[in-house]
This record gives sequence, structure tokens and C-alpha cells, in this order.
Amino acid sequence: MTSAQAYRTPLPSRDVRTPRIDRRRQYARRARMSDLLVTLLWASGAAAVALYLASGGMNAWNSPAGVITGLGIIAGLIGSDFVLVMLVLAARVPVIDRTIGHDRAVATHRRLGKPALYLLLGHGALLLIGYGMSTGINPISEIGPMLALPDMPLAFVGTGLFIVVVVTSLVAVRRKFSYEGWHLVHLLSYFAVIFALPHQFSDSGMLAVSTWQRVYWIALYVLALVAIVFHRFLKPIISTFRHRITVVGTETISPGVVSIHLRGENLRQLGSEGGQFLIWRFWTGKTWYHSHPISLSAMPSDSRARITVRELGAGSSRISAIPAGTPVSIEGPYGIFSDVARTAPRLAIVAAGIGVTPVRALLENARIVPGEATILLRAGNTDETYLWDELGEIAAAKGATLFKSIGHRSRGRCGWLAEKDARRGVTLQSIFPKLMQSDLYLCGPSSWLAAVEAEARALGIPEHQIHAERFDW
Amino acid sequence: MRKRAVAASVLASLGILTVGWQIGAATAAPAISTSGGTAVGKTAASSAASGPAAAPAPTASAPAAATGSGLKDGTFTGASADTPFGSVQVAITISGGKITAVKALKLTDQGGRSVQISNYAAPILRQEVLASQSTNVNNVNGATYTTDGYLTSVQSALDQAKA
Repeated sequence: MTSAQAYRTPLPSRDVRTPRIDRRRQYARRARMSDLLVTLLWASGAAAVALYLASGGMNAWNSPAGVITGLGIIAGLIGSDFVLVMLVLAARVPVIDRTIGHDRAVATHRRLGKPALYLLLGHGALLLIGYGMSTGINPISEIGPMLALPDMPLAFVGTGLFIVVVVTSLVAVRRKFSYEGWHLVHLLSYFAVIFALPHQFSDSGMLAVSTWQRVYWIALYVLALVAIVFHRFLKPIISTFRHRITVVGTETISPGVVSIHLRGENLRQLGSEGGQFLIWRFWTGKTWYHSHPISLSAMPSDSRARITVRELGAGSSRISAIPAGTPVSIEGPYGIFSDVARTAPRLAIVAAGIGVTPVRALLENARIVPGEATILLRAGNTDETYLWDELGEIAAAKGATLFKSIGHRSRGRCGWLAEKDARRGVTLQSIFPKLMQSDLYLCGPSSWLAAVEAEARALGIPEHQIHAERFDW
Repeated sequence: MRKRAVAASVLASLGILTVGWQIGAATAAPAISTSGGTAVGKTAASSAASGPAAAPAPTASAPAAATGSGLKDGTFTGASADTPFGSVQVAITISGGKITAVKALKLTDQGGRSVQISNYAAPILRQEVLASQSTNVNNVNGATYTTDGYLTSVQSALDQAKA
């Protein structure tokens, strides 16, 4: 700690005035939208089943075979619904991104993967058993007649692709892939969806012509497709050509850390909030196949932007050598590690290492009153104090309190702090006495981040006041 | 997840499911009007798997109810009955006041599995109609629409034979 202020007596609580912006109302709006999205997710699954029931699906439930077939159909319907929800979650739809954030959308997408696969496998297995029972043959022999049906071979291939996609996304397996390799395999899920599509409309009587089910499902598919094509493909292309970003030059600000200065057109119209990230692709022969999610380390002007990167992955180390004039394509901005996510009257920021870069832009862009924000910066040594001088200037200009903690990490209590500070008795509570009335923004390495989060939770901070954006894919 | 989101999700899902179930229940009532009770056993299914074409009539098995029923001799083609999986049309042959043959002219064939279903349901239905000498036969499992269409067409043919 370079400041003794960590030990000042807490201000009387009436001094903690609600700033001009009512964060609680802002949060209430976002929470309502979030609840609506969750409700929509479950309601869409219910609707799939309800339409099956409404079309008299239960009429066939008059025998064991009929019940098993019926359950198989329901499993397929809910499974398909989950797959479509997953597509929408991965589509980076602005309303979802601004409500729950990119990382939570991806986390939800990931959580749905295995249930969706199990439902689809159950769909196949139950139908084989049910059809087999009704015709008096065993499920394995039933595969033959099934494959003879139009579109069924494709559906079997689609199922195989789904299995490949889910298995390669299991944490243990995914580690063995580079991001690019994994992503390439993951693209197979589009083919899985496309291959599975025909049999749903031709073979299953469920989606027979002129039924409400057919209308509903076509609408769902169109919605998911439009979301993906527009937000994942068209919008990035449009914004890349609109802003025409090129590299001006790179600047090494510390060993292994470079700031990349960029030039472009109408960059303010990107609409980026401080703290958001974009996905960058640098079009040189050696780097075009890597895309990098990197936060803006300063608010862009109309013609200039800056990102700051630490050389970590194979791709990251090459981008420090990018020549001036390299064209850059972009996706984004994404994420709600920004003012948008505020919920409480005060602002507490903790950043470590290269995690300081989004914080730099966040603070620059934050609409705060003097005294509202407190910041703690953490570095292992003085070489890692990236952009700290800039942050100091912004903090001073905005009336924010800035603490610094430099040195080896503490091995005992408060493992996220420097040892000498932890030993002096500094804690999260002593740095942020008003933590309970604060939004806590965290950015840094995953394990470090988890330690801060754990201490904050132990103090009883409400979950929605913790904002930690993780860039791990 | 927030409590409000959970509550809203549960309520919305239950509501949607209930509406779907009620609509389904409302449409279910008239759908299986002719079926008379227990399901057709699997033994019946496997023993009658001869194909949908007309075959020589079983002679002795007909119950007395059919004799003197006022059915004219001859072959009568039933009306075509529409189902969501295609239309069904049958022709029946009356000889000595009894149904001696049922021939399927057209069976459900829309949707890939329909042909498969028709192929196994039709022989069962033919045998049931010949045995009961009426359309008062059991619904064939997994072939509800085919059964309905089949029996509707048989009934229409019977009506012509009575006239």
C-alpha cells in the first residue's frame, strides 16, 4: 500500500450520497430483462412440448410402445429447442450481451451442451425402442428400417457430428486443442443442425404440413439462423469495412507488453463503452487465422484507438511484430465490464497485471462523482505496473481514490494481495469500507480473481454486485 | 439464478403446458371414437403380417350378427378418408351378406414412416374387420390416424352396401 488512507475511519453513512444516476433503477431494468430472457428460455421448451400435446400427441400414449415413442418425440423436441437456444446464445445478440454479458451467455451456452446432446441421443434411442416394440422387432434391428426412411441417414450423421462437437468441448478434451482447431470442429455444429433438419419436417408427422407446430418450429429456426448470420457474420463484416481499421504502430510499454495503436474511421460510432472488448484479427500472412479478444485500453477518438496486449499465447506473441499499415478486422464491441452493469451507488475496482487495461478504459468512461470510486491496482513487481501512470491521472481528475499493492503475493490470508500489505493487516474490507454499497469490478488472472471473489463473498456482498469478466474461451 | 426468474419460468412453462394439454385433450375425445377397449396384442400383429392386398375370405369365422344384415352382394368402394398423413381408401366385397374381403386402394403415405406404419397396420385392420364384420374394432397402436381413416372408409363402403 502506498497510501495510508486504507486505514482512515469510515465516513458517516449519510455521506454516501446516491449519485445523479440511479444505479439501482438501472440494475432493476437490466434484471427484469434478464428474468425475461430466462423465462423465454424455459417457456420455449415448454412450448415445444405444449404444441405436441395440443396436436393430440397423447392420443398415441395407449400402450407401452406408444408411451416410449411419445417420450422419444418429446426428448427430440426439447433437445432441438435447446440447440436453437444455444445458437442464439452464441450469436452475440446485442440485447443478450447487454443484459447478461458475453461471458455469461457463453457459460449458459456451454451448460446447455450436454443436456441437449443427451436429449437428442435419448430421442433416437427411445424412438428405436418404441418403433421396434410396435412392430415387434428389437431396437437394433429397427435401425435398418429407420435408415431406409428418407432423410434419416442425414439425421444419423447429424447426431454423430453433435457428439463430436460436445466431446471436443469437454474441458479435458478442449485443452488438447488450440483455440483455432477447437473452433473449426465447433463449426461442425452448424452442419449437425442442418443435417438434422430435414427429418424433422419430412419423417416426423409432428411437423406435418399446416400444423401450428410446423409454423412454430420454422419460426424458431428462422430466428436462430437470422441471429447467427446477421450478428456473427454480417455485422462484423459491415463494421470492418465501415471503420477501416489499420495498425499505426506498436509500442512496447514493458517487457512482453505492447500497446497497439490503431487508426480508423468514425470509431466513436462503434458505440463502445469503456471496459468492453472487441475480437481483433490482424491480416498479415502469419496472423490472419488467429483472432484475439482484447479490451480497448483507452476510449477511442473518432480516428484513433488503442489496445494493450501481453504476449501469452502463440498468437499473442506474433502480434507484437505486426507492421504498420496492417488491416484489422473486428467483431464487437462486446461485454458488460462497463458502466452498463452498475447496480450500486459506489464503485470498487480491483485489477491485477494486464487486467488493468479494461479498467483504464472503464474508469475513463465511467460517469462517476468525486468520492464514488476506489481502485486497487496489483502487480508482482514494478515492471508490471502497466498504464498505472495513466490510471493515476484519470483517478485524480475524476476524484477517485487509488491504492497500489506491489510485490510477491501473500501466501497466507488475502492471497490476492502483496505479502507486505497482507501482513500489515490490509483486507478487502479495509480498502473498500463501503463494499456492501459498491459494485466490485475485478479483472486479472483467473486464480487471483477467484481469491478476491471468495473474500468478497465471505464479506456478504450480493452476487449481482460482483463483475468479473473472464476472457478464457 | 434469481428467484423471480425461476418463479416466472415455472409459471410460464406450466401455463403453456396446461394450455397445450387442454387443447390436446379437447381434440383427443372425438379422434378415437370407434375403438372399443384393450389394445391389439403383438401376437395379432405378427400373425397377420401378410400384406395389405385382398385375400380369400375366411369362411367360418364370421359371427352370426352379419347374416341377414341387409348387405347387398358385390364390391363397394368406400369414400376416401383424409388424415394428416395422406388419404385412406378401401374397397370391400360382400358375399352372402357378409364382408368377405377388404382391399386397401390407398393408404397413409405422407411422412417417411407412414408407409412402414401402413404396411403393418393394414393387415391387422383387415383381419379385425373381417372377424367382427363391422368397423367396431380396436385402434392399432401407433397407427391411430391410419386406423381412423381405414375404418371411416370401410364404414362408408358398408353404408353403400346397405342402401
